[in-house]
Amino acid sequence: MKFISPVFEVSNLTFRANEQSILEEISLTILPGDYCAIIGPNGGGKTTLIRLLLGLEKPTSGHIKLFGQPFKKFKRWSKIGYVPQRAAGLDQNFPATVLEVVKMGRIATQGFFAKATREDREAIEEAMTKMDVTDIQNKLVGELSGGQRQRVMIARALASKPEVLILDEPNTGVDVISQKRFYKLLKELNAQEKMTIIFITHDIGVIADDIGRLFTVNQTLLTCNNPKEAISCDDMSALYGIDAHLIHNHHHH
Amino acid sequence: MLEMLSYDFMIRAFVAGIIIAILAAISGSFIVLRRYSMITETLAHSALVGVAVGVIAGSNPLWMAVVAALLSAWIIEYLRSYFHLYSDSVLAIMLSGSLALAVIIVSLAGAFNSSLFSYLFGSILSVTKNDLVVMSLFGVIALSLLGVFYKQLYFIAYDEEVARTSGIKVDMLNFLLVSIVAIIIALSIRIVGTLLIGAMMVIPTVAALRFRQGFAKTILIALLFSVVAVIVGMSSSYFFSLPSGATIVLTLLFIFIFSLIVNRR
Repeated sequence: MKFISPVFEVSNLTFRANEQSILEEISLTILPGDYCAIIGPNGGGKTTLIRLLLGLEKPTSGHIKLFGQPFKKFKRWSKIGYVPQRAAGLDQNFPATVLEVVKMGRIATQGFFAKATREDREAIEEAMTKMDVTDIQNKLVGELSGGQRQRVMIARALASKPEVLILDEPNTGVDVISQKRFYKLLKELNAQEKMTIIFITHDIGVIADDIGRLFTVNQTLLTCNNPKEAISCDDMSALYGIDAHLIHNHHHH
Repeated sequence: MLEMLSYDFMIRAFVAGIIIAILAAISGSFIVLRRYSMITETLAHSALVGVAVGVIAGSNPLWMAVVAALLSAWIIEYLRSYFHLYSDSVLAIMLSGSLALAVIIVSLAGAFNSSLFSYLFGSILSVTKNDLVVMSLFGVIALSLLGVFYKQLYFIAYDEEVARTSGIKVDMLNFLLVSIVAIIIALSIRIVGTLLIGAMMVIPTVAALRFRQGFAKTILIALLFSVVAVIVGMSSSYFFSLPSGATIVLTLLFIFIFSLIVNRR
């Protein structure tokens, strides 16, 4: 049997900021092809966990390996696509067309001086088609709706042909219909292209059936199971500290 | 009108001015979009320290200005990242500190004179052949570096974190950008002067942004404004015997007002 190194191998990860504990003793393993959701209350450390995985924060203690390699040795960053939460918080007046932003996804893989190759152009076109932003490619990003902007950010991540796609609350500010389409797309990327998908969400009710693995994070990692076993009211109560039924109604405002 | 081009000093001034116009517009666009415009003012004042040293030591003030501006840029970045100080405070400290140092050096040497005035506000008469060589040399280096890293710098300006996670060497490129800017500012003080170079880095891009285009077009518009302002400004400097830095910046101001009026919303 061929040994497959995990995409992420996290052991005893602890992160503190200003003496305050954000994450404690997290250990988890994500394998190639996993389809994972991370849920948890606001301030529970979900985004911090993702930022640690991406190397944007340095752990207080513990280790993270990417594709079997420690951070310092890891070089294949273009294999990891990242769609941050604050896409809406980016400068609305920034002079960039949709096409220019999607092209950014190829920059890290291009050599210096390198002109866009046919491969670059194809990757960009494919990413734009998948996210349905081809028609708006000449619009300025500042003129887009929240949902359109989110799709552009994902297209940029896809343009680098990542093996792993990490999304932080990808559907904030997106209406329910395109949400469904969006999850269908994630599922397709996972099933057809064997892309490892990791995303933070509040919409656990919408997607529980599809998720391969569910991580519930509130300072510590509470569960990392098959979602159908994981989402019991007890767990939810432990996670959010309130009655779980409230949550389903709570997250849509 | 074209008779001014029969003077060697005017030709040198135009060549120097256009080199600066191109460099300032391109590098300025990254600085403006990163909300880091004030670094141009600080580095310009630091360059003045180099000028002061150069005037007194009798070496080429332009070389000294490049060295001083580079050192200042590196100190600023070091203070910002190592001590986590607020950027604008660091810039304010370095600006006043540099100016104080420059004034003391000049005073001690008793060298307050008209040549210093030309470093403050620029002068078309001051560009020597040697200057032109120095400016072309550094100009070519700066322009090639900007050309090589243009896309990366653009990605960083738009979305620094995603640029970082996609494997772009953000810290190295930030360092490179401020170094390039330091060199450009130091080279500019002959024509535009230390007190006025900030406008030259900032206004073309801010005016171009009003036209709400993508990045490539925005840079082209900024380049156009910058070059036009240098040509118009230096010509008026010649005809009315005014400091060229002042006439260039006033031209830029007119362009800025024009772009505000044309793009009312």
